[in-house]
Amino acid sequence: MSSYLFKSNVNEYLEGLPESVQSRLYQSPATCLAIYRLLPGLAKFFIMSMVFNEKPQAVRDFDSWVKPNGKMDLVEALRSIKSLHLLKEANGIAIMNPVFRKSFRNVLTGNEIGNSFGVLCDTDDTHKVSVEFLDQYAANKWETILHFMVGTELEQSPSPGVLSLLTHSGLMEGKSVKDMLITNEGFQFLLQDVNAQLWTLLLQYLRMAESLQMDPVDVLNFIFMLGSLELGKDYSLSALSETQVNMLGDLRDYGLIYQRKSTSRRFYPTRLATTLTSDTTSLRSASSAMNKVIENAKDSAYTPTNIENSGTIIIETNFKVYAYTNSPLQIAILNLFVHLKARFSNLVTGQITRESIRKALVSGITSEQIISYLESHAHPQLRRAAEEELNKKNGFESNNHGEKIQILQPTIADQIKLWQLELDRIMSFDGYLFTDFSSDQEYQVLSKYSEEIGVLLWNDSSKKKFFVTKEGNSQVIAFANRRLKKKA
Amino acid sequence: MSLRSGARKNYNELVNPDDDFSDDTNTSMSEIEEEEDDDYKKPKAPLKIKNPTANRGTKRKQQDAEDEDVLVEAGPNLDIPPDYVPDVVSKMFNKNDFSYLKLKPDHASRPIWISPSDGRIILESFSPLAEQAQDFLVTIAEPISRPSHIHEYRITAYSLYAAVSVGLETDDIISVLNRLSKVPVATSIVDFIKGATISYGKVKLVLKHNRYFVESTQADILQMLLKDEVLGPLRIDSSDSANGLTSGKAPEQGDLKIPGTKPSNGQEGQTDGTVEDIYASVVGAKEDDIEEDDIDAVHSFEISNDSVEIVKKRCQEIDYPVLEEYDFRNDQRNPDLDIDLKPSTQIRPYQEKSLSKMFGNGRARSGIIVLPCGAGKTLVGITAACTIRKSTIVLCTSSVSVMQWRQQFLQWCTIQPESVAVFTSDNKEMFHSESGLVVSTYSMVANTRNRSHDSQKVMDFLTSREWGFIILDEVHVVPAAMFRRVVTTIAAHAKLGLTATLVREDDKISDLNFLIGPKLYEANWMDLAQKGHIANVQCAEVWCPMTAEFYQEYLRESARKRMLLYIMNPTKFQACQFLIQYHEKRGDKIIVFADNVYALQEYALKLGKPFIYGSTPQQERMNILQNFQYNDQVNTIFLSKVGDTSIDLPEATCLIQISSHYGSRRQEAQRLGRILRAKRRNDEGFNAFFYSLVSKDTQEMYYSTKRQAFLVDQGYAFKVITHLHGMESLPDLAYASARERRELLQEVLLKNEDAASLEVGDDADNSVGRGNNVTKRSNNGKVKAQRTAGSLASLAGGEDMAYIEYSSNKNKELKEHHPLIQKMYYKKAKK
Repeated sequence: MSSYLFKSNVNEYLEGLPESVQSRLYQSPATCLAIYRLLPGLAKFFIMSMVFNEKPQAVRDFDSWVKPNGKMDLVEALRSIKSLHLLKEANGIAIMNPVFRKSFRNVLTGNEIGNSFGVLCDTDDTHKVSVEFLDQYAANKWETILHFMVGTELEQSPSPGVLSLLTHSGLMEGKSVKDMLITNEGFQFLLQDVNAQLWTLLLQYLRMAESLQMDPVDVLNFIFMLGSLELGKDYSLSALSETQVNMLGDLRDYGLIYQRKSTSRRFYPTRLATTLTSDTTSLRSASSAMNKVIENAKDSAYTPTNIENSGTIIIETNFKVYAYTNSPLQIAILNLFVHLKARFSNLVTGQITRESIRKALVSGITSEQIISYLESHAHPQLRRAAEEELNKKNGFESNNHGEKIQILQPTIADQIKLWQLELDRIMSFDGYLFTDFSSDQEYQVLSKYSEEIGVLLWNDSSKKKFFVTKEGNSQVIAFANRRLKKKA
Repeated sequence: MSLRSGARKNYNELVNPDDDFSDDTNTSMSEIEEEEDDDYKKPKAPLKIKNPTANRGTKRKQQDAEDEDVLVEAGPNLDIPPDYVPDVVSKMFNKNDFSYLKLKPDHASRPIWISPSDGRIILESFSPLAEQAQDFLVTIAEPISRPSHIHEYRITAYSLYAAVSVGLETDDIISVLNRLSKVPVATSIVDFIKGATISYGKVKLVLKHNRYFVESTQADILQMLLKDEVLGPLRIDSSDSANGLTSGKAPEQGDLKIPGTKPSNGQEGQTDGTVEDIYASVVGAKEDDIEEDDIDAVHSFEISNDSVEIVKKRCQEIDYPVLEEYDFRNDQRNPDLDIDLKPSTQIRPYQEKSLSKMFGNGRARSGIIVLPCGAGKTLVGITAACTIRKSTIVLCTSSVSVMQWRQQFLQWCTIQPESVAVFTSDNKEMFHSESGLVVSTYSMVANTRNRSHDSQKVMDFLTSREWGFIILDEVHVVPAAMFRRVVTTIAAHAKLGLTATLVREDDKISDLNFLIGPKLYEANWMDLAQKGHIANVQCAEVWCPMTAEFYQEYLRESARKRMLLYIMNPTKFQACQFLIQYHEKRGDKIIVFADNVYALQEYALKLGKPFIYGSTPQQERMNILQNFQYNDQVNTIFLSKVGDTSIDLPEATCLIQISSHYGSRRQEAQRLGRILRAKRRNDEGFNAFFYSLVSKDTQEMYYSTKRQAFLVDQGYAFKVITHLHGMESLPDLAYASARERRELLQEVLLKNEDAASLEVGDDADNSVGRGNNVTKRSNNGKVKAQRTAGSLASLAGGEDMAYIEYSSNKNKELKEHHPLIQKMYYKKAKK
């Protein structure tokens, strides 16, 4: 689900690029492959059917390839292809972008792909690193960023580049490193899987790159190239443009690539990089990615898939929270809205209190986010209980089928919402404040008048101030003018 | 101890004569804070090891000085492996990060975690082993919360004392814990268990053939005791043994059969054996141990009857508290009571389980059994009495429950009505046979003021003889000082305390552990509800916004007047009216609870419903209750605090609470108990309803949360209702117009502050135990004549204050105007 989300984000970005930039992008075979991979399924099919077909394709034919109930997908696929300018439509004939066609053919046939898929180092690295090491390294880097976001105290905060990226993308706000706080978007960001998170940051990076006079084509080409590199191999810097070499430092900070030294002539892509454009869900979510790393490091009966498939959190009606996890990140996320109490090797206990929720709410997280987080991570026991409850309900009231399953006890969800409502109790009014009266009598007369006509919202006779509604203002002013004129 | 606390109490009352806040809210708040402190701020002392025995004598002193000397500094934590590296989030937990405890390879099949720092045990209730684990944990630890999925327990010195007293040995406890635990049991916990149990339960004081023996399985302990300068000389020499000790066969359950239990009882062990091997094998092993011990025999020396008190006291001082057991089968001096359960009486599995804890080794142990209201505490008491079959005395909290106990005895067992005596202010006849049963109230027995000639005679009778068994009903309401008096005036061999809620907002509960005995059994509410022994209850907290006028006054008024304002909040009244109407239509029988008598009367009169409070005469009460039970015209009654406990109304299916005693968790649980025994509970899909009406944005919200804590920990979920659909459209809704609301406000504001105070008198909480009850009451009387502020116009009725009989008292109507009802009732009664 969420992987779909990020794709549409990347696609949106690509679709929004001017045609000239797109054409330049398509010169790189690796980019063409990556873009192809990001397309919706039906669009992929259209491209494949046309790429080696020299004859022009009638647009009408597309309709006949699609079942009647697939019209929606068809429209979406065509829209997507057209806005990427992969196809041009003229007189009912669809013509493929020639640059794209050429590059994509090359990708598929392996002709003339040049350096676009990176150049492997031809000498052996004396400090060769293993895949495990790369995984660990990437997880560490990425985790540092996420930890920083949830406010874990770290020995080392992320690099300034990352920090400015976080603030510019609106994930965190605050002036100095010390008082940076996670925003509402930031919390949503945390709940996404790692791929979506990476893309969110990379897109922001692209936007910032433009303002730094970096060529977006270079940047994009490099990102897409990373997506097609092979994990565990070392690549040479020789094929990279200057912009791209400059990018290496930033990508290192995100954990996308590994360089032993910043001056090193070779780099390793990590798993984060190689899965950028892939559909595989091997590193589906941040927490499961972390789990994997940890589980690999330690020996445990739980397999990562086990944890991933079965939620981890139990919340009881007394608001005690038990999470079967050892993932520092998940613990850190829980710490945003749970008062944590104790921790065992595979269990964290805590309590949701009004204060703990309030703390989260104040930092911009909404009750819906908390509830949906708890629901999506609910332990199978909770699910089972909820299903039983639902069956029972349906059993008694046979006319009441189709009721929604409530994984979270309604009392808990209600209470969390109520805590949020507590904060939204201030009503605001637009209006005008009257001050600085020349005499007490003047104040009395005017405030009395506005009270009589029902526009007075607040008054303080000791300070001689009152506040009227926006609508009533003109009436009060007119009255005041009449009064004062009369006096004068 | 009791003297001290008694003195403190009085002092409180002197300083702050009518402030009831002091013991219910403040204490418990500070308690919680203290607990938190222990959890978080004292990293170097992971375990609070109280010297368990010192507690018995000088608990109060200890608590004052708790911080200085009770904490035993533990050395460097031995459980942390050298290669353990804390990760980034470890800091969030301070010292409560126990991830260094490595999981056992097969941890998935084990159900518990044990926290090394505070003895907290977390249990997966969905584990296949959970049921056995629960049985075990409830014996050795205090249940903290038992909702649907994960339960929490906590090992305390008291709970270990209880565990030892039902016959568990230190090593058994540790080995079972180890088998159940996913992580190794930390050395701190092992040390704590050892430290707490090493001296517990090793010495027993047994009354056999009317001679007192100090008994132990370990001869060396007795030798040690004999060398004690105080105890040594107290021994009565029996010359038949070289070392001064007599050896004999240890008791065994043998042929003792608790009446009412099914004969298949004995075979239960076999079914156990087929279940999971982990626990069963341990249990099996344990049973073997006991049998071996039996062959080893026990050692004992005799002491004289006069020195019993001294021995008990001395044993406490030297950390070997004596367990009291009553070997009733060998007691020949006290005549047997002819009592047995009727063949038709069946007791439920959990009742049986609780009794088996009491009679585990063929003798009667003293202790407390905790069962939810409506789960049949009375029957447990009766069955215990039928097992001991000696003269028995039952103490309960009110004369209503005295009658109920008597009636229940006659209903369930074969005792002759003439052997059942009742000792209340109206009834002072005693039985004349040589053994019998007496039912009375705490206040009758513990009364220290002048008695009438009749009751003095009865008291002399009660104190002059030896009782086999004393049942103390609703033990949680009775303060320590009173128990001390009861326990010392009446000589009983075995004591059984019964209660539903072993919580008090003050710290008196722990006193009970040592005055009566350890907690023998505590039932799981949710479990019983699931099995249909008590009703399923839907709990809801209804938020009633304060009307603007009321809130304005609320902000302006003093604390006590505020209370009146939030209780009389018109929105609350409307909510109450709406709920009553809604549930009456559904065919529910409704009880409305209000602590505040003024509100009770206002509500009841306005809604035209009968009500009962402290000053309602007995006859009128009975009349109202009977009408509620049998008359389908009377579906709602209003009760003040007098209805909190011991009023048995199985018809009630819905409960509305409009005002309550601050943050008392116990009251909330007791009130809920009124609907747990609902007759209709086994209808499919039946739910009883419990509504707590709370005025929004007032102090009440805070209290309400506190009150619910106990029930929430039992697994009840309180749903918050912020809006009652259709309330506005209710025909003849009270206080619908602003004018009516203003009138009400005027009326409330004119009320004396004392109207806000809680009802005094005729309630277990107040009347029992507080000696100065009478003076309080007269105070109240004086206050009534006090001057009140008010304009002349208002007094003359000029300000919305016309005297109109809005609604006549339904109580009177019931009494006078309904011959039909009378007829209906008598017809029913005849059947």
